[in-house]
Amino acid sequence: MKALIIDDEDLARAVVRQHLAAHPDVTVAAECANGFEALKAAAQHEPDLIFLDIQMPKLDGFEVLELLEAEGRRPAVIFVTAFDQHAMRAFEAHAVDYLLKPFARERFDAALAKTRTLLAAKEAAPVAPPAATELAATARQGRPLERIVVKDGPKITVVHLDRLDWVQAQDDYVLLRTEGRNLLKQQTLASLETQLDPGRFIRIHRSFILNLDRLVRVEQDGKEHREAVLRDGARLPVSRAGYQRLRELWEET
Amino acid sequence: MHPLLASRARLGSYLLGWLPIAALLAGMARTQGWTWAEAGALSLPLCLLGAFLFLSAWTLCRALPLGQGTEGLANRGAAWGTAALLMGGLWSGLAWLLARGLAWLPALSGLPFKVRTALPVITGLGILLYLASVALSYLLLAQARTLEAERRGAELQMVAQESELKALRAQLNPHFLFNSLNSISALTAVDPVRAQEMCVLLSEFLRRSLGLGERRLVTLGEELELARAYLAIEQIRFGSRLQLAWRIDPAAEPALLPTLLLQPLVENAIKHGIATLTEGGVLTVDAAVTEGHVVLSVDNPVDADAPPPVGLGLGLRQVRQRLLGRFGARSRFEASLRDGHHRALLVFPLETL
Repeated sequence: MKALIIDDEDLARAVVRQHLAAHPDVTVAAECANGFEALKAAAQHEPDLIFLDIQMPKLDGFEVLELLEAEGRRPAVIFVTAFDQHAMRAFEAHAVDYLLKPFARERFDAALAKTRTLLAAKEAAPVAPPAATELAATARQGRPLERIVVKDGPKITVVHLDRLDWVQAQDDYVLLRTEGRNLLKQQTLASLETQLDPGRFIRIHRSFILNLDRLVRVEQDGKEHREAVLRDGARLPVSRAGYQRLRELWEET
Repeated sequence: MHPLLASRARLGSYLLGWLPIAALLAGMARTQGWTWAEAGALSLPLCLLGAFLFLSAWTLCRALPLGQGTEGLANRGAAWGTAALLMGGLWSGLAWLLARGLAWLPALSGLPFKVRTALPVITGLGILLYLASVALSYLLLAQARTLEAERRGAELQMVAQESELKALRAQLNPHFLFNSLNSISALTAVDPVRAQEMCVLLSEFLRRSLGLGERRLVTLGEELELARAYLAIEQIRFGSRLQLAWRIDPAAEPALLPTLLLQPLVENAIKHGIATLTEGGVLTVDAAVTEGHVVLSVDNPVDADAPPPVGLGLGLRQVRQRLLGRFGARSRFEASLRDGHHRALLVFPLETL
C-alpha cells in the first residue's frame, strides 16, 4: 500500500511516519508540506492512502481532496488534524476516518485497519466515497463557504468569494466570473448554491447566482422581462422567482 | 425610611427651609391684628408639626411613581388632591388644638377665637404646602433613582470587565494546545531532549497566561515574556518557516498596560500570517519609547493572494477597546495591511508602578 503524508508541520509528519514504521505493508511514497506538493506527488505516485491535515497554507485539506477528485483520483483518506472534534465526529457518518492530534498508537492502528478493510471491500464492489465538497460542508457545520478552488488545466486558482461577481450554470459545470475572467468548474449550480452565504449570493435566475455586492439596479423592459445591471455595466437576466427573492431580501433589510 | 430623616444634615436643612414659611404665617397673622406673641407662639410649633406631617407625601409618591407619559395622571392627580385636602384639614385641626392648648397661658387666651376665623386660610396653606411636598418627594425619588442607576451601571461595567478577563483566560487557543502536544508526541521518539524542552516551554506558557489572567494591569516586560514563551513553542512547530525578530527597548519594559493585549496580536500574526504561507516569514515585535509614550508593534507577512479582511476581527477589536478603555485619547491603536505585511500598532503613555 502506497501512502502520502500531507501536513505543513515537519513534526506532525514525523509522528505519522514513525507510527507507520510498525506496518511494513505501507510504504511512504512522499511527504508533502502543502497542497500543491500533495497534488504533484499524487499524480506521480498514485497513492492508495493519504494522511491529510486540514489546516494548511494556500490549500486546505478539503480543497486538496476536491482537486484530487477533479483529476479522478480518490485514495482512501485519513484526516489527521487538531480541528474541532465535533466537526470531525460527523465524518463517521461518511465512513471516513480521522485522527485527532495528538493520537495514541492504538487509535492509529485502528484507523489503518479500518482503511485496509475499506480498500478490500472497494476492490470487490466499488462504492462512491462522499464528495470532498460535502465533507467540507459537514466540517464547516453550517458556516458558508469562503473560497472556491478551480483546476484550470495545470493551473489551480483559489477564488475568494468577495472577488466572485456571478456564477452561471453550464450543464454539469458552473462558470465563475471573477476579476474579468471566466473559470469553469465541474459542479452543479444547485450544489454550489447550498454552500454559499444566502445573504451575499442570490439565485436571480434558473442559470445565474449573483454576488449582491455587484448589483446596481434591476431594470424592467417589457412585462415580465427584467435585467440586473451590475457595477461593471454587465447585464444578467432576472426571472420572476429571482425578482421575488431579491424583493424579500430588500424587505428584510 | 424617608431620605430626609436618614441624615442629620439633610433634616436640618429641611427644617431650616420651614423657617421662612413660619415667618410668612406669622406675618399674615400680624396683618389680621394678632399680637407678635400670638403669631409666633402658633406659627413656630405649627410649622414644626407640618414639617413632619407633610413628609408623609413621600410614602404616597413612592407608591404612585410617575410614569413616562400622561397615562394615569388623572388617577394620580385625584390621589394627590385627596391627600392634600386631608392633610390640609388635619393641619388646621392641629392648629386649633394647639391654640386651645396655648390658651392656658393668659397672654394667649384670645388665640382660639382668632385661629377659628383663620382656619380656612390655614387649611388652604396646608393644601399648598402638601402639594409642594409631593413635588419635593418626586424630585428626591428621581434623584435616588439616578444615583441607583449610576451605581448599577458602574457595577455592570465591573462585571463586564471581570467576565471579559475570564473569557480571555479561557481563550487559550485549543488548536495551539493540541498541535503543541502533537509536536511533543513526535519529539519524544526522535529527539527526547527537545521534547522535554518543549514540555517546559508549554508549561511555562500555561503558567504565565493563567497567572496574568488574574490581574488587570501588567508590565510590558511580563507580556513580552509570555509572548516569548508562546513564540518559542511555535518556533518548534513551524521550524524554519518562522523567524523571529525582537526589537525591544528595555526602557519600555516597566510600562503598565491592560493584561493580555500583546498575546492576541502575536497569535494573530501566527494564525493569519505565518501559518498561511508555505514559506513562512519574519515576525517582528518592536517596542520603543518616544516622548513619554510606548510604541509597540507586531509585524508579519500575510498571503498576498487572500483578500484583505474587512474591518477588524473580534480579537483586534477587543484589544483596541481595552487599550482605549484604559488610556482613552492618550492612546492609539492601528492595524494596517501594506505590501503584503500586516502591522498592529499600539501607542500608549509610559506609566510605571
